[in-house]
This record gives sequence, C-alpha cells and structure tokens, in this order.
Amino acid sequence: MDVLSLFPAWLLEHGAAFAIVLPLLMGAITAILPSRTLAWWTAFIVTLVVTVTSFGLVLNMLSEGATIYSMGGWDPPHGISLVVDALSAPVLLLISAMAVLTVVYGMPATVAEVEPKKRAPFYAAFLICFAGLMGMVVTGDAFNVFVFLEVSSISTYALVAMGSARDRRALTASYNYLIMGSIGATFFVIGLGFLYMETGTLNMADMARILADLDGGSRVAKVAFGFIIVGLGLKLAMFPLHTWLPGAYAYAPSMMTIFLASTATKAALYLLLRFSFTIFDPSFDYVGVLMKYLLVGVGIVGMIFASLQAIFQTDVRRTLAFSSVAQVGYMLLGVGLATAAGLAAGYLHLLNHAIIKGGLFLALGAFWYRFGITRIDDFEGLSKTMPLTMAAFTVSALSLIGVPFTAGFVSKVNLATAAADKGWWWAVGVIVVTSVLAIIYMGRILLLAYFGDAPEIDGEKAKRNEAPLMMLVPMWVLAIMSIAIGSNIFNLGDNFVGAAEAAARLLLGGGA
Amino acid sequence: MAKAPENLTEAELEERTNAHPMAVPFLFLGRESTIKNFIWFPFAGMVICMALGLIYPPHHKAPWDFFGSWAVIGFAAYSFLVLSAGPLFKLLARDEDYYGEGGLPDPDYSTEGDHHD
Amino acid sequence: MIDILQINPGLWIILAGIICAFMPVGHVRKTLVLLAPLFAGVMIFQIYGAQEVIGGVINYAGIEFTTLRIDRLSMIWGYLFCLAGVLNAIYALHEKCRITDSSALIYTGAAIAGVFAGDLLTLFIFWELTALSSVFLVWKGGERSYAAGLRYLAVHVFSGVLLLAGAIVYGRANGGDFTFGHIGLDSPGGLMLLLAMGIKCGFPLFHNWIQDAYPKASITGTVILSVFTTKLALYAIARGFAGEDILIYIGAVMAVFPVFFAVIENDLRRVLAYSLNNQLGFMVCAIGIGTPLAMNGVAGQVITHVIFKGLLFMTMGAVMFRTGTAKASELGGLFRSMPFTTVFCLIGAGSIAAFPLLAAFVTKSMILSAALEEHLYIPLAMLLFASAGVMEHSGIKVPYFTFFSHDSGRRVKEAPWNMLTAMGLASLLCIVFAFPFGGYQLLYSLLPYEVNYHPYTPDHVIFQLQLLFAAITAFCVLKKYGLYPSEKRAEVIDFDWTYRKLGLGIARWIGAMWTRLSVNMTGVRKTCVDGMGKKLYQIFSPAGAMSAAAPSGLAAVLTAGMLVIALLIMFIT
Repeated sequence: MDVLSLFPAWLLEHGAAFAIVLPLLMGAITAILPSRTLAWWTAFIVTLVVTVTSFGLVLNMLSEGATIYSMGGWDPPHGISLVVDALSAPVLLLISAMAVLTVVYGMPATVAEVEPKKRAPFYAAFLICFAGLMGMVVTGDAFNVFVFLEVSSISTYALVAMGSARDRRALTASYNYLIMGSIGATFFVIGLGFLYMETGTLNMADMARILADLDGGSRVAKVAFGFIIVGLGLKLAMFPLHTWLPGAYAYAPSMMTIFLASTATKAALYLLLRFSFTIFDPSFDYVGVLMKYLLVGVGIVGMIFASLQAIFQTDVRRTLAFSSVAQVGYMLLGVGLATAAGLAAGYLHLLNHAIIKGGLFLALGAFWYRFGITRIDDFEGLSKTMPLTMAAFTVSALSLIGVPFTAGFVSKVNLATAAADKGWWWAVGVIVVTSVLAIIYMGRILLLAYFGDAPEIDGEKAKRNEAPLMMLVPMWVLAIMSIAIGSNIFNLGDNFVGAAEAAARLLLGGGA
Repeated sequence: MAKAPENLTEAELEERTNAHPMAVPFLFLGRESTIKNFIWFPFAGMVICMALGLIYPPHHKAPWDFFGSWAVIGFAAYSFLVLSAGPLFKLLARDEDYYGEGGLPDPDYSTEGDHHD
Repeated sequence: MIDILQINPGLWIILAGIICAFMPVGHVRKTLVLLAPLFAGVMIFQIYGAQEVIGGVINYAGIEFTTLRIDRLSMIWGYLFCLAGVLNAIYALHEKCRITDSSALIYTGAAIAGVFAGDLLTLFIFWELTALSSVFLVWKGGERSYAAGLRYLAVHVFSGVLLLAGAIVYGRANGGDFTFGHIGLDSPGGLMLLLAMGIKCGFPLFHNWIQDAYPKASITGTVILSVFTTKLALYAIARGFAGEDILIYIGAVMAVFPVFFAVIENDLRRVLAYSLNNQLGFMVCAIGIGTPLAMNGVAGQVITHVIFKGLLFMTMGAVMFRTGTAKASELGGLFRSMPFTTVFCLIGAGSIAAFPLLAAFVTKSMILSAALEEHLYIPLAMLLFASAGVMEHSGIKVPYFTFFSHDSGRRVKEAPWNMLTAMGLASLLCIVFAFPFGGYQLLYSLLPYEVNYHPYTPDHVIFQLQLLFAAITAFCVLKKYGLYPSEKRAEVIDFDWTYRKLGLGIARWIGAMWTRLSVNMTGVRKTCVDGMGKKLYQIFSPAGAMSAAAPSGLAAVLTAGMLVIALLIMFIT
C-alpha cells in the first residue's frame, strides 16, 4: 500500500467531507466566474482533486476498513456522520471518475451545445449536482440523503433544461423530470418521516439498530419502506416509473446525458441497497417479500419491455436510454436475488454499466458534435467517417450486449450464475433473451455503421472527420476499461469483482 | 512420336501452332487412333497383374478373394456405378436454374468477368 | 511476462489476419499470408518436443480454458494446416483482395488454434471463428454465392451452438471439467457433441453445405475452404470418438453415397466436393475402427488427403481461372493449352485413386487393412466399392473431361506461375509421401502410433493395380460402346432439396395461404391482427404510449399505483 502513503494524512482523515464541500463551494464560485475557460478549468480541477481524494478513500478503506467521519466533531446520532465503507467507496470513485471524464469531454461539447453566457452557470450547476451525488452516497444520515438528493436533482433539472439551445424538447423533458423527480423525492421524504416516527432517529446506523431491536417494527416501518422503495425506484428509473428518463437523456446537453446515465441512477440504486439491506433487513418479512416480488418482478418486466422499446426506437439516444432502463432491471434482479452472489452481480453490473453507458453516450455525443447525428438511419457509413469514435462505440456496444472479454459479459455471467444457483432458471432465460434483444438493438446500429456507405454531401462522399482528442480520450478510456475488466487486464476484472463481493458481504451483514 | 512438320495436315498444323509449346510432343494423345487403342494399355496391365496375383497371393484374405477378384470387383463396381448414372440422372437432374440462385460459375451465364484468358 | 511459447500458434496467424484486414499495401499482405503459417509452424516446432505440451491456461469467469495442448495427434493437424496455409498462400499470390487475404489467414489460424484447443469451450470459440471467417471466402464467389454463403453460415453457426450446448451438458455431467479428451457416446452431451462435429464433417444428410458452398466460392476460396473446416471436425471426432462402432457405418455410408452424385454431377468443383465427402467417409470409418493401425491410417490419410485434394481443387481452380468455368460439359482437350496443369491434375488424380508410388496408396491401404484385420467385411466391401468410385469421379472423370475428352476448342494460357508453383509443390509432396525409399517412412515418423505396416509388398501392389487397371478398362469399354453417359448441364438435387425447395415451398405455401386467409377474413383480421399490431406499435414505437414523454399526471398515478402494490404485497403476505 505505498500508494496510500502518498496521500497526506489530513486528506484521508477529512476526505469524505472534503469531497462534498469542495465541489459545493467551488460550484458557488464558478457560477459568477466571468470566463468560460476559467469555469471549465475550475470544474476540471475540482473533479480531478475529488477523484484523487476518492481514490485515496478507497485505498484507505481497503487497508483500514470502514471509516465514519463526524461532521463538525458532532458524534452520531446527534451529528451528521459520513460513512466510507465497501459499499459507498467504489461508488464514490465511480461518480468522481466519471465526472472528470465528462468534464474533459465537456470542453468541446458545451461549446457546441450551451449558449455562451450560460456556460459558467452550466459548470456551476454541474459541480453542485456532482456534490449532491457524492453527498447522497457518502452520508450516514438519512435526512441528509434527502437533502443531497434534492441538491443533485434540482441542479439536474436546470442542466437538462440547458439542452434547449440544441433541442427545444429539452424544456418539456426537464419539466417532466422535475415533476417526476419531485414526486419521487416527496415519496422518499414521506418514507423518512414515517421511519423517524418509528425509530426516533435519523442516523442510519441507529435506525438499523432500533429496527432490529423492534424486529422490523410496526406497520409504520412497513409503510415507510414502501414509500422509500417507490421514491427511490422513481429516481433510479425502475420500470414503470422510468418515463422521465428517455426524454431527459435524449434532450439534455450530451455531457449531462453521459453524467446522468453513468451516475445519477447508480447513486439512487446505491441508496436502494443501503436502505433495504443495511437499514432495513431482508430478514424482516415485508422487506424480503417486497424485494422478491416487487423488485424482481418489475426488474424482469422492465428488462423485457424496455429492451423491446429500445428496438423500436429511431433515435439512438432513446435506444440507449431504454437500454438503460433494461439494465436497471438486471441490477434489480441481482438485488432481488438477495444472495451474496446475486448482490455482488447486481453491484458489479452497477459499476460496469456506468462505464459502458458512459462510453456509448460519449461516442454518441461525438457523433452529434461532428455530424449532428442522433437518428439511427444517419449512422450509415459512420465507420468510414469517424472510425476511431465508431470503434470505441463498438467496443462499448459489444460490452453492453455481453460479448466475452468485455465488462458486460462478466457481470451478466455472474448474474446468470447467481440466478442459477438460486434455482431461478427462468431468470437465466430472461437474461439470455434480453441479451439477444440487445444484440438486435445494438447490432442494427453497428450493421448500418459498418456495412453502410458513407453518405454523400453535395455529390461528394462525406470525408473522414474524427472527433476531437478531448472527446476521444475519455471515450477510449472507458472502452479500454470495458475490455480490461472483461479480460482481467491489470487485474482490473478481479478488483471489480472483489469490490462487488466485498459490498455484497457488507450488505448481508458479514462486515466489510 | 511427333510427326515431322511437313507430314502434317492443315488441321494438325493449326492445332500445333495454337498449343502450348510443352504440349506439342503430346498432341498425339488427342488423335483418334490413340483414343481407339488406349484400351489395350489398362487391359494388358490388368491381365499382367492378375497373372502376378497367382505368384504373390494376398497375405490377408478377404472371404471373397479368388483369382483376379480385385480386378473383377474393380470392373463390376465401376460398371455398376457408371451404368447407374443414367437412371439417377433422370431421377435427380433438374434445370440449371432450378433453385433460382444463378447456379454455378459459367462463362455463358456469368456476367462477372472472372476469367482471365 | 507472457511466455510466447504458451501462446497457441494459431493466434499468430489470426493476428496476421487482423493486420491484413487493415493493411492497404498488397505486397505486405501477401508477405504476411505467406509467412504467418510458416511462423506458426516454427512455433509448433519450438513448443512441441516429444511429450504432450499443455499451456496457455486462462481462468476466466471461474472456468479454466486450456488454450494450448499439443500432443502427437494435434501436432499432425497443426503442421498440416500450416503447410496447407503456405501452399494456399502461394496459390493465391496473384489475387489482390484484402478480404480474401485476411479471412484466409483468420480462418487458417482459427483452424490451427481449434486443433490445439485443450478444452471444449476453447474449441467452440475457434469452431465458430472458422465459420465466421470463412464465409467471406464463399461470398467472394460473387452474387450467386450469397444465398449459399448464408446457408453455410447458418449450418456452421448451428453446429457451433450445438457444440457449445453439448460441451456444457457434457462438462456439467463431469463436474465442470471441460477437458477435450475421449468423450464417448454414453452420455447425452457426447451425442450432441458428435452431432455438432458430424455436421461440420459432412456426415450423410448433413453434408449438403459442402457441395452447396464450395463450388460457389471464389477460385482461391474453394482451395482454402477445402482444407480446414472438415479436417478440423475430423480431428475433433478422432480425438473424442475414436473406436465408436457407429462411426464405422456412418463412415462407410459417407464413403459410398457421394460416389453416385459425383458420377452425374456436371460441375467438376462440385464433383470434387462430393469426392471430399467420400474421402472423409474413409477416415470417419477408420476412426470408428479405432485400432492403432486405423488411427495411423486416419492421420496419414488426412495429411495426404489435404495435399492431393487441395491439388485437385487447385488444378480445377486454375482451369476456371483461365476458362471461367469448371463444368465438364464446357471443357475438354485442355491438355493442349495447359500441359503442366494436366500433369499436376493427373498426379492428384492418381494420388486420390491410390496408385502405387502416389500419396494415398500407403495411407488408404492402412485403413482398408485395418478393416480387414478386424474382420469388418461389410464396411470393407463398401469401402472397396467407394475406392472404385474414387477412381471414377476423381481419378478419371475430373482429368478426362477437363483435359482430354472431345476438344472444346478452348485455347487458353497456361495457369499463372504462382498457381503452377503451388500445384508443383503439392504434386511433389504427393510423390514424396508415397516414395518407397525414405518417403513414406517420413510420413510414418509423424503418425501417432508405432507403425509396422509395409505398403510395398508385391501382393499389395499387384492387387491394388488389378483394381485400378480393371476400373480403367471398364471405363474404356463403356466409352467404346457408348454406355458412358455424356456430361449434361443440370442442377443435381441432393438432400438439400428438402430445405432449399421443400422447406422453402412449405414456407411459401403457408405465406400464400396466410395471405389468402387474411384476405378472406378481412374483418376478423382487422380487429385482431391489426388491432394487435397497432397496439404493439402504439405501445412501443417512438410515437407510442410507452415512449412518448408520458404526461406527468399519468406518471404520478403510476407512482401511486406502485406504492399501493408495494404496500399490498407487504401487508398481505
């Protein structure tokens, strides 16, 4: 662990707080910065610093075990605590790393997509959204979760709306998202209220202890759980509460789409895990039943329906958005299995899918940037005009399908094995079927791109026009990550699987 | 065996000028008389081998082995095969475009210039 | 670091193939095509000493993949494929086509890698890769080959899927051990595996893809195709099912039935494809016998078979290259224009017909002797009949109708130098591997078991010659009395009629009936089918309900509904 020794001790000690406060503060400052370039640099440096911090936190967590940080020195249950453990640390790193990559990508993309005078506020909102997501994940206080949830959500509504410079439909999408998101948040906070009523505390660890003492608690706890699950389900685009997602993904500025797709729903899913396993416990009757019937049920239905919808789309952004809903179904299936293997597979898919979808949306953004392409029909011949971008897109697409030696394969195989171990062969069947559907909806895009001829512009074949380097680098980082995880290069695959298994152990109460 | 050029007929001369230089000494293979008399070569070979078969009997005998059995088998099997071709052809042959896929490569049908003479 | 001796040699060739796919410079590609199989051969030599070598073990997703296993059996196929790769490369030197080059290399590499696969899952990967890479060779045959290529792909992908399914069933039954050793037929997994391999090997009724696709591929494509796919399958059968009795009869039938088709078929490349089938029958039969002599026969036969069958396809390819056709009815008298090709073709024909001093004489008689020693008289009789058949279609028909027969009047150039070189080398090998003094002993040194079989005993030579001379005599006699059928242009239907005509017909009939039905039942259809279709479209299409940015009100109701469901589930149970 000599990498760990390179981190200053204060950073490791206060890292959890630092990772929230820094982007929050800098977000406020960025908003009034006069220059777009300066704003970008601020965002870049902040996200980079936070990523390094998260990395340090992960390493520290691995060597020291879980740490609980008390904000302002007030010990829980009265103060707010921040928890870095095997469950939250990988998600922290994922969110911050994706933030860096999207900011790098955002340099050229925002120029094309956001009005000049809105660019500094755009980065400010981005940083605040980022801070909110980090806060949601790291906090150990249930009400604080709600606060950060709203911080990230409200900034996201604004960010999605900024896509209106490109497509006016962004406004309705944002409005939709606002309404739905608020409903979700309301449900969530109502659930919290009930929970507070039952337990009299807002600290998560305390809640868990009291609930366990009450052996699951009264009807109030049940209602609380129902509200929380549905509220979070809305945030994580659980079928059929996903209706806000395709619009938001399709019309937001592409940088925001990437960030949303790879982090926002993941953070919500993280919360779902946190709440249903560490605060509540699957050994309570109602929790186990709800997970088995509701989560698995909507997961499976969502996998199939959303995949079918993805096939019928004409716009690639929407295809990918529906694919995201389907992938959420995989994760929910893993969660609903409630076995160590199932949880690990679901958690692994959470991480992998962020990388895969991030890569796909990055490439898609680059296509739009160069050629204004979003419709599937326009993909014809793209492999000739933007070969490198298309190659990265292809790698991520294959990974999404679950081709061997890619990240998607690892998590799908783990998920299928977990389902088979539990004797849920029908679930294995559904995984296979939806993978075939994925072959169809991704395959037809790839076929067009590779076997179509480049379109003619004014009687001339479209020339090769590769995406700028700032876009290529993040997308290839993700594509290579995909392969590295799938082929276990640099032990990346083992590390990811190990992290997922550690998280699953923590969830099932085996300690980190 | 090649004839001297002055003894050639017009047709033979033309054949010779068109043929590959290495093939010129072997043009007799295409002559009527060669084809007619060729049969004696395998026939003699067969007879000689049948005779030799008496001197060197087979090590492992199959139940059907007798004098010249292999020659008989060869002759009978071959004839049976070729004679069965007629009825089989009637039974199985269809027009070349039967499957409607354009059939096999053929300069008369082919529209692609894939031969190089 | 990765030890390069742990890497399956086939992967080098695949790598070269991938490079070729992006390499615009023809000369560099040709160099790669030529050198990659040579390099792989050298690598095999470096890796394999005398003992079995197992390496390249990869643990992935909890399964152990043994990507490299070279032993006495796989070594033979490995070297052979490298050799064939080099010969094919020389033969294709004139062709400037990036797709052919890269797909030929990947195909060759996949076949070699498949042969060296130590477990069934690795085998499956390369099994499918051979199919996927080689279909481009079929499609290079032009438009007419498109449908055949699709059928070829479908058959092979199906075979691969079956192989995977069989491997999983078999591996599960063995407690997760996927090692590719002797499999046997006593488990359902074994049956599936044999079926998968049988499809790829052209077992009777599964053979049609060979005669369908090979004659339609490009000139070089056919030559390349003829080497690998079926031989990879043959290796798999030899490894997994040696000594299974049923193979004796499958093999015997497989040797006999193509003979009849070969007699009436007009296209000589298709005749050779049937002949290929027939030769495989001999080998499958010998695998079924499974004695050391028989297995030596298989190994020896596969070596010589690849060489002489390749040689025959090469000569027909050369003829087609110059004349544009390989149809017997259109050819004849070509010895005047292509004397070298004629000689090479005659050597190939003599080899396949097992003339003494030519390739198959040693190896095929090993197979026949093995059958005789085991007193398998019925299969032996079938194989003898098939031998006469070989003499007919490959020994006589192919060279006779192309180079002799009546003069077609075609006067073309001799084949290009590179084709002649490849054919010359193959012919040389045909002679070397049957040469009585040090030639066939060289072949013996490669065989998996100790060999003490002496092919050049007087009785053996004499009886073989009896058979061959008698066959030629019969040919002359039949020809003389006008009983030998003249070649007529036709499409000869085979078992593939069932799916290319009957199956298609049934599908069309159902389609037509459906149309009629739906026309007659417009009202019902309107309400049912259209309604359903519309519903589906309404639900799923971008304009549809599920995709339209759902009104927030509805979404809110949905959310409330979810809550109700959640609470119900919790409270009721």
